[in-house]
Amino acid sequence: MITKIANWFDERVGWKAVWETIFLRKIPKVNWLYTLGSATLFTAVNQAVTGILLTIYYVPTPDHAYDSVQYITTQIPMGWLIRGLHHWGASAMVILTVLHMLRVILLGAYKYPREVTWFTGVFLLLVVVGFGFTGYLLPWDQKAYWGSSVGTRIAGSTPVVGDWILRVMRGGPDLSAITLVRFFGVHVWVLPASLILLLGIHMYLVIKIGISAVPKREEE
Amino acid sequence: MNEKEKKTYLEQYKKDKEKGVPFYPDILFKDAVVSLLIFLVLAALAYFIGAPLEERANPSDTSYTPKPEWYFLFLFQLLKYFPGELEVVAVVVIPTLAIILLFLLPFLDRSTKRHFWNRPLISVLVIGSAAGVLFLTVQSIRETPPPAEASQGDPVAALYTENCAVCHSGTITVPEGTNLHDVIAQGTHEGMPAWSGDMTTDEIDALAGFILSPGGNALFKEYCSECHETSELVASDPIELKAALDEGDAYAPHAEVSIPEWSEEITLGERTALLNFLVAPDGQRLFATNCAQCHGRSVGFAGEENELRDLVSQGGLHLEMPPWRDTLNSDQLDALAQYVTASSDSGNTRELFEQYCASCHGKRIPTMDDYDQAREIIASGGAHETMPVWGEVLTSEQLGALVSYTMEAAEGTSLEAGQELFAQNCAVCHGDFGEGGPNPARSDDVIAPISTTEYLTTRDDHTLFQVIAQGQPNFGMSPFGSTFGGPLDDDQINTMVAYIRSWEANPPVELPPEVDSSSVSLSSGEVYAQLCAQCHGPEGLGDVGPSLRDPEFRAGNTSQDIFETISKGHEATPMIRWGDLLSQDTIQELTDFILGLEISEAGVKPEPTPGFSSFAEDVLPIFEAKCAPCHGSMGGWDSSSYDTVMTSGDNAPTIIPNDVENSILAQKITDTQTYGTMMPPGGKMTNNEIQLILDWISAGAPDN
Repeated sequence: MITKIANWFDERVGWKAVWETIFLRKIPKVNWLYTLGSATLFTAVNQAVTGILLTIYYVPTPDHAYDSVQYITTQIPMGWLIRGLHHWGASAMVILTVLHMLRVILLGAYKYPREVTWFTGVFLLLVVVGFGFTGYLLPWDQKAYWGSSVGTRIAGSTPVVGDWILRVMRGGPDLSAITLVRFFGVHVWVLPASLILLLGIHMYLVIKIGISAVPKREEE
Repeated sequence: MNEKEKKTYLEQYKKDKEKGVPFYPDILFKDAVVSLLIFLVLAALAYFIGAPLEERANPSDTSYTPKPEWYFLFLFQLLKYFPGELEVVAVVVIPTLAIILLFLLPFLDRSTKRHFWNRPLISVLVIGSAAGVLFLTVQSIRETPPPAEASQGDPVAALYTENCAVCHSGTITVPEGTNLHDVIAQGTHEGMPAWSGDMTTDEIDALAGFILSPGGNALFKEYCSECHETSELVASDPIELKAALDEGDAYAPHAEVSIPEWSEEITLGERTALLNFLVAPDGQRLFATNCAQCHGRSVGFAGEENELRDLVSQGGLHLEMPPWRDTLNSDQLDALAQYVTASSDSGNTRELFEQYCASCHGKRIPTMDDYDQAREIIASGGAHETMPVWGEVLTSEQLGALVSYTMEAAEGTSLEAGQELFAQNCAVCHGDFGEGGPNPARSDDVIAPISTTEYLTTRDDHTLFQVIAQGQPNFGMSPFGSTFGGPLDDDQINTMVAYIRSWEANPPVELPPEVDSSSVSLSSGEVYAQLCAQCHGPEGLGDVGPSLRDPEFRAGNTSQDIFETISKGHEATPMIRWGDLLSQDTIQELTDFILGLEISEAGVKPEPTPGFSSFAEDVLPIFEAKCAPCHGSMGGWDSSSYDTVMTSGDNAPTIIPNDVENSILAQKITDTQTYGTMMPPGGKMTNNEIQLILDWISAGAPDN
């Protein structure tokens, strides 16, 4: 019965080919360090899921942001877990991204033929940092407000274009409701879109080229 | 990589792949294990710690100490190492460079080698950068002030956030020995504005404490702010602060309020942090608020750092003031109390002060606001004016800052050296503190004070230098500059000018002394000592000028020659035309005096001939004036008569006849003592007085 259904779908969707390409492809023997990439992907999924759940109740205005976060944490069933996972997941994602990158550098995995994978990886790192920066403001508590206030000011101290950067980030000279909406928009639309795009290319390349083998130490 | 290498790699990879395992289930299993593990960790963190949420954002509460998310801390910390205009390096240059390098990595590292052992440069660079980021993060966490919850609504933290955090972010690392108060007030730091216009002194003090003692601020808020404003306590008396913290409600001003026993409530470390916050360990400020009252603003100390540390920490407990009610009558006590409270100067009182108080208090008149209190203190004496035992009061940070500041300041200005030069060359006529006095060169003339604000503000350093170098022959002042034949080189004169200049901020005398100018009639010996001895030596053995006791000099000069030389002087030497200043009679007397000096072999110093003639006439009066105010009524060494001088004292004998070196008295007045402090505490005796006493001892300390 199951085989029948599977075949029915395969005839129309062709999932078996996809299954074979993605899941049954052969991989060189690798060690546990090679799970860092998947782990990062997992945290990204975690952030996406919990993040989407958070948007159900979160309101990105100075009037309601703090209250809504408080409401999520204290009133909604499992709200504390969702927010907790999202909060700690952010840190985990940064750590794992960096570790993954270190592994790639130290084992020379960015070399031919995986240069493009590497570029998308660097972009992904920037996206992750951007997520951290924009997400910090959203709870609208003291830490968020003043941390972002100083953060944008530091970015604004760039010579020549500093003032412009500051205004673009804050949506005005001061940190305000506009800044909050701006950060929210970037955090839930711009960055996730970039993430999906980059991650798509990244994954496509990983599957197409295959993950690098553990290099052997060459005797010189 | 060329085509061949690429091909080799791809073939090798193909082989590796064939020898490998399928993604599902082998690899996917591993990934799933790791992901599950991560999920469990995250869930545990969410459950046990939760996602923190602080108070609602309050844009008007600028007291909050901002802190970015932890993974930005390294950038935050990096900023601190690039202050002012260099900030752009940390904000733009380094991050941009890092990102560009990351992008270019595949092009920079084009070798076929992949294992990190085979690519040492890249490996070291990457691990080094990672370690650097880790270090900066840890450093930042360590330096960040404790959680901001404690400092909410805290005016000092607000000051910091508003004014400092913009450039300095969370904390400032202040190099040891920085005069922080000064830096803040005057903005001596590059690119930093002077804050003294925008902030009160109290605010600057509080900021200095906030910066130098992170955490002290929060403690203040927790324990003290209910009753005290910060401004009320910062830079106040460390003795009171320490007492208040140590004694709990036994501390008198706290007796009426119900406060906990602080010493039990607050740990020692916290109390230290609190004290460091209230009285910032900033050497210059500490000196200004605690030492300058007695020591003036000119810092002078020539000894070792440890010596100074001991001196400061042990204080001056030996400086007991006698109970004056035993010596003085009620009227005199009243007058003195009046004098120190209102400085009402009726000539008599001044004399009284000079007679009894000046030997310890120097020329600086202690001031008090409360008349009754002043009278009580004078009457009962005691340890009121002693130097506090700072070692028990100051925290080690404060003490360290104070000592290193004093050492540095004393070194930088060489005021000590200037003071010594002044004492040797100028004090004879101008007084120890430039207060002036009768002009020994002109019988009806008074030398005006040169240490008043008025005098010093109207003469620049150049003028002072010229006056010293060229002398003022018309007023009887010889040239002192070596260019004009005097004994001092330019450096020495500059040092002296710096010392004299140091009076301007804190003049030792404001009013010209009242000098009885009518009755100045000096013996030829005294005229010699005050005028001629400067160059010809106190014993006529020569110094800058020739020896007057040299047989050759005497053989080549008749009485008439000597008279002529004194009257007309020598061109371009310190020997000015004394005939313009001294009467013919005086010069004749001087000539006779010089001829009366015993001839001695050139260059050979004679046996120390007693420069005194009698203990009762020469030595005892010095003791009476300089020592008796304390040494007579208070136990210990008693200077009032020959017998007591020779026998009394805790370490008697104080005087060993013929042995200057081992006589405690000699050591103490020449500041070569092995214990305790120099005497008199108000300042060294004059060279003449010291010489007299030393001569007397080396002559066997006779009682005549």
